[in-house]
Amino acid sequence: MKKLSIEIEEQLLRYLDGELDAQARQTLETEIHTSELLSARLEELRLVQSVLIQKARLETPSKNFTMKVMSGLDTKPVTSTFTPRKGLLLFIGSIIASGIALALLSAGVFDAPTAPLVLDSPLKTDWLKVPSVSIPFNGKVLVNGILILNLALAFVVLDRTVLKPIFQRRISSGI
Amino acid sequence: MITQQEEYSLIDKILAGDRQQYSILVDGYKSYAFTIAFKILGNRPEAEEAAQDAFIKAFQYLKTFNRTAKFSTWLYRIVFNTAISYKRKSKPAFQSIENTIVEYSDKADKQMERDDKQHYVSKAMESLNEADRLAIQLFYIKEFSLEEVAETMGQNMNTLKVRIHRARLRLADELKKLLKEEALTL
Repeated sequence: MKKLSIEIEEQLLRYLDGELDAQARQTLETEIHTSELLSARLEELRLVQSVLIQKARLETPSKNFTMKVMSGLDTKPVTSTFTPRKGLLLFIGSIIASGIALALLSAGVFDAPTAPLVLDSPLKTDWLKVPSVSIPFNGKVLVNGILILNLALAFVVLDRTVLKPIFQRRISSGI
Repeated sequence: MITQQEEYSLIDKILAGDRQQYSILVDGYKSYAFTIAFKILGNRPEAEEAAQDAFIKAFQYLKTFNRTAKFSTWLYRIVFNTAISYKRKSKPAFQSIENTIVEYSDKADKQMERDDKQHYVSKAMESLNEADRLAIQLFYIKEFSLEEVAETMGQNMNTLKVRIHRARLRLADELKKLLKEEALTL
C-alpha cells in the first residue's frame, strides 16, 4: 500500500488544527477530493483528534484537597544530604587519592621487602614462654586493595551524582 | 482564574507571613495540578497525594520563585517532577479479575460507538512512550496552552509541537492496525 509523505501528513494535521491559510486549505481540499488515500488518512487523523478532544478535560480532586495541603504546610521537605555538589567533591577526592596511590605504586615505593609484623606479649617473662605472633605484611597488596576500593567508590559516586540524574532527566523528557 | 498581578500580590502577602492566603492559590490551581499528576500517574489517590505534595513543596520554596515566569508554570513544573518521582517509586498496581466489577447495561448505539472509539484510541495510546502520551493528553486540554505544556515538560515549544504531531500520526497508524486486527477476528 502506498504511503503518504511526512510533509503531506503534516499538512493534514495543520488542516485539522485550522492552521492553514485560505489558499493552502483550498489546494489541500481539492487534493483530498481526488485522492482516496488522502481522504482515508484524513479520516483516521480526524477520528484520533475527536476522541482526544472528548477525553481531554480537567480532573477534579477531592473536596478536602485544599484543607489537606494547608494542614501539611509545615511538613519538612525531604532533602537528601547527598547533594550533587558533595558527590562531585567526593568523586574528585577519590580520583586524586587513587592517582596518588597509583603514582606511589608505579614509583616502586612499596616494592621493598617488608618485614612481618611481630607482636611481642607484654607478659613475657623468664618463667613464662609466650611464642611471639608474626603476621605477614605486604604494603603493595594493601595499597592495591585500597586503590580498587577507592575506584569502586568513585564509580558509585559518579553514578549517583552525575550519570543517574542525567539519565533520569532524559527518561522523563522522553529524549 | 487568577491574574499574574493578583498572583504576585498574594505571594507577597504569603511571604510576609499571611500563609492563609496560600489557600487561594491552591484553590485556583488544584484542578490543573491534579490533572497533570493524574495524566502521569493514571491513579487518582496517588495523583492527589503527588499534587498535594507539590503544593507543599511550592509553599516551602516560594521565596525562590523569581517571578520571571508565571507562578502557574513554576508550580506545574514542580507537580510534573513530583509526579514523575512518585511514578518511579510506585509499583504497578495489580487488579484481580475477581474484584473487577463488570457492568452490563443497555447503551444507545451512538454511546457504544463512542465508547468503542475511545477504547481503541486508549489502546493505541499504549503504543506511545510516556512523554509523547503526556504531551498529547495535555495538548488537548484547552485550559493548557502549548507554551505552558512545553515549559511544564521542560521542552522547547517547537520540539514539543513536532513530538505531538508525530504522536498523532503514530496513534492513527496504531488505530488502523488495531481496527484491522479486530476485523480479522470477527
